[in-house]
Amino acid sequence: MEVRIAPQMPLADKLKILADAAKYDVSCSSSGSSRRNDGTGIGNTLAAGICHSFSEDGRCISLLKILFTNECIYDCRYCINRRSNDVPRAAFTPDEVCELTMEFYRRNYIEGLFLSSGILYSPDHTMELICETVYKLRTLHRFQGYVHVKAIPGADPALIQRVGFLADRMSVNLEMATADGLKAMAPNKHRNNILKPMRQIQNGIIQSKNELTVYKHAPRFCEAGQSTQMVIGALPESDYQIMSVAENLYNKFSLKRVYYSAFVNVNEDKDLPATVFGPPLLREHRLYQADWLLRFYNFKADELLNEKRPNFNLALDPKADWAVRHLEAFPVEINRADYHTLLRIPGVGVRSARRIVAARRFGSLTFEDLKKMGVVIKRALYFITCGGRMLYPAKLDEEYIVRNLTEQNKPGKDGKLSFMADGTVYRQMSLSDYGVQPG
Amino acid sequence: MEEKYIICEDSLEGIFTAVYDAYALREGHEHIHIQVGEEDNYRLFAVYLYSRPDYVKTNKVIKTLKSRLGDEVYLALCRAAASFYEDKGEAVYRTVVDGITAGSGTRTMDNLRNPYVARTHELARRTANEAHKEIEFLRFGELENGVLYARIGPENNVMAFIMPHFADRLPKENFLIHDEKRDLFGVHPAGKDWYMVSGRGACEYNIADKDNARTTAADAPDAGIRLSGEERKYRELFALFHETAAIGERRNRRLQQQMLPLRFQEYMFEFSPR
Repeated sequence: MEVRIAPQMPLADKLKILADAAKYDVSCSSSGSSRRNDGTGIGNTLAAGICHSFSEDGRCISLLKILFTNECIYDCRYCINRRSNDVPRAAFTPDEVCELTMEFYRRNYIEGLFLSSGILYSPDHTMELICETVYKLRTLHRFQGYVHVKAIPGADPALIQRVGFLADRMSVNLEMATADGLKAMAPNKHRNNILKPMRQIQNGIIQSKNELTVYKHAPRFCEAGQSTQMVIGALPESDYQIMSVAENLYNKFSLKRVYYSAFVNVNEDKDLPATVFGPPLLREHRLYQADWLLRFYNFKADELLNEKRPNFNLALDPKADWAVRHLEAFPVEINRADYHTLLRIPGVGVRSARRIVAARRFGSLTFEDLKKMGVVIKRALYFITCGGRMLYPAKLDEEYIVRNLTEQNKPGKDGKLSFMADGTVYRQMSLSDYGVQPG
Repeated sequence: MEEKYIICEDSLEGIFTAVYDAYALREGHEHIHIQVGEEDNYRLFAVYLYSRPDYVKTNKVIKTLKSRLGDEVYLALCRAAASFYEDKGEAVYRTVVDGITAGSGTRTMDNLRNPYVARTHELARRTANEAHKEIEFLRFGELENGVLYARIGPENNVMAFIMPHFADRLPKENFLIHDEKRDLFGVHPAGKDWYMVSGRGACEYNIADKDNARTTAADAPDAGIRLSGEERKYRELFALFHETAAIGERRNRRLQQQMLPLRFQEYMFEFSPR
C-alpha cells in the first residue's frame, strides 16, 4: 500500500490530526490501578482515577488520547480514518509520544497515555510500534503513571503479551453488538479476531493475579483490567441485545468496563442512519445507567428487558422503570430491608444504601435522616416506608407513580420532552378516573 | 446553668486545643460550645472563653482521637476542621463527644442520626471532594529555574490533603503550590519531604499584582513570575489537544461546567481566551 503521510510535519499539526482521529473512542478512565511511585521516576496511579479537564462536549479528559497513526489499511464504514477517506494523515514517532506524555504529565495536564492506532502495513507492525513506544516510556523515562493501550486484533499474541506487562489497561473494541453487524460495517474485521485477544488478555490477568498471591513482586499484567466499546445506533440492534452482550462480556470475559458510543455518522454514509439531529445520546445514557445496574446493583439484563420489551423507556430511568413494573416488591421498610433490597429502590444508590445499613445500627431512621444521607426522596418516596409509614399517602399504582416521576422530568430548554422509543404512552388522567361523571 | 463559648483560632491546632480545653473544664458537654474565629453576635448570659492554639494539647488530642476513634474518623475530623464553614468547631467538638464520651468509637462517622456527626460528615466530604478537584485541575507551570509552580484558590484549606499526592507522584521535581486565598505555600524540594509555609504578605509579586487590572486569575502568574521557554510550547500543545478532543456533535457546555465549575476554570490556562 502507499503511505500518505507527509514526511515532515510540526508536532502541533500531528497532535491535532491524531487527537482528532482518536476522539471517537469513548474510554477515558484512569481508574482501577493503584500504584505508588518507587522513587526513581515520575508518576503514580489512583484506584479512583483522575480527570484532569473536561472538553466542550462535557466528556472528561483524563489521558492523552491519541492514535499512533491514522493511516489504516482497513475500510470500516463508521470510521473517519478508513482507507477510502481522503483525510490528512500523520504518524508520531515513539519519541514524540514520550515527550508529549512526560511533559504533559509533570504539569498535571493528564493522568497518562491512551495509545491506539490505525493499522499501518499490518497488525503486527502496528502493535510493534505501540509496544516500542510504551516500552520506552516505562523504561527510558521511568514513567509510572497510567497507560491504556489498544490491542490490535490480529496482532501476534506474543506482542500483546509484552504490551500487557507494560500497560495498566488494554482494550479491544467489539465495535458492533452482533457478529453480522460487524461484518456489514467492518468488512476487514472478524468477530473471532476480536474475541481472541480479549480472551488472551483475560487469561493474562488471571495468571498474573495468581502469581501475585505467591510472589509479591511478580510482574503485573494489565492491573486495571480490560475494557471494550460498542457503537450504538448505527444498526437496528435492540437495547436488549446490547445489554445481553455486555452482560456476557462481564461474566465470561471478566471485563472491567463496556463503553457505549452513540453513533455519529462522520462519513455521511447514506446507508447508515443520519445523525443530523444529533447522536442518540439519551439512548446511550440509558444504556450506561443499565450498565451500572448490572455491575453495582446486582441486576440481570433479562430483569430489565426481554424479547417483548426490547428497548429502554426513554422517559424513565431503567431502575425506576423496573420498580414500577414490580410494585409487588414495594414498599420497602428502610429500617429492616437488607442491603440488596435497599439497592433496588429508585433514589437509593450504593453509597446511601451503605450509609443506611451503617446508621440504623444506632437507632431507627426517619425521612429527615435519609435526606441527609443522600437519598433522593422525591424519587424514593413512592417505594419506601420509615417505621411503617410512607412520607405521605401515595398510591402504589403504576400509572400514578410514572406520572409523578416523569413530571419531574421537565422538558429541556429546547422545549422537547424525551419521547418513548417503544411507543409507550402514559395517558392523561381524566375526571372519570376519579369516578366523577361529567354532566 | 450558663452557656460557655470557647473561642478558638481557625486551624486544626486551634480547634483541637479548644476540644482539650472543653474537656478540661470537667463540666459535661451540654452547655459548652466551640466557636471558630471571632464572635460577631455576643449573647447575653453567656460566658466567652478564649483558647490559644497549644502544641502539647493538640498532640494529646490527636493521640487520643487516633487510638479511641481510629484513623478513618480522625481523618474525617481533620477534613471537617479544614472546612471554610464556621460551624465546623461545634460540629467537630460534638462528634468527638459522640465518639469518645457516648462511646460510638470507630463507628462514630456512621452515626448519621446525630446532626453534628452528619454535619461533620458533610463538611469532611466537601473538603475531600474539593481536594480531589484540586488534584485533578491544578496546573503546574515550569519557571525559568525549572521549579514547577501552581496557583489554587480553594474554598476549604485543602493544602495538607493534596501535598502527599503530588509528593508521591513527582518525587524528583521541585514544586510549589500556592493557595492564594490563605497565602499558604506547599513546598516540595526534589527528593525530600514536603512542608507548608504561611506567607502572609511575604510574596512581593502579589503586592505588585494589585496594580495590574487582571481579567482572569489564569493571567496572573505571568505578571510577576518568569516561565521557562518551553512552557508556552506545551501550554499551546495542550490547549490544542483540549480543543480537538471535543466531539462537535455532542457539544454540551452545561455538562462541562457542571463537571468543571468556573471557579476552577479560572485557574486553568486552557480556558483563558488565547
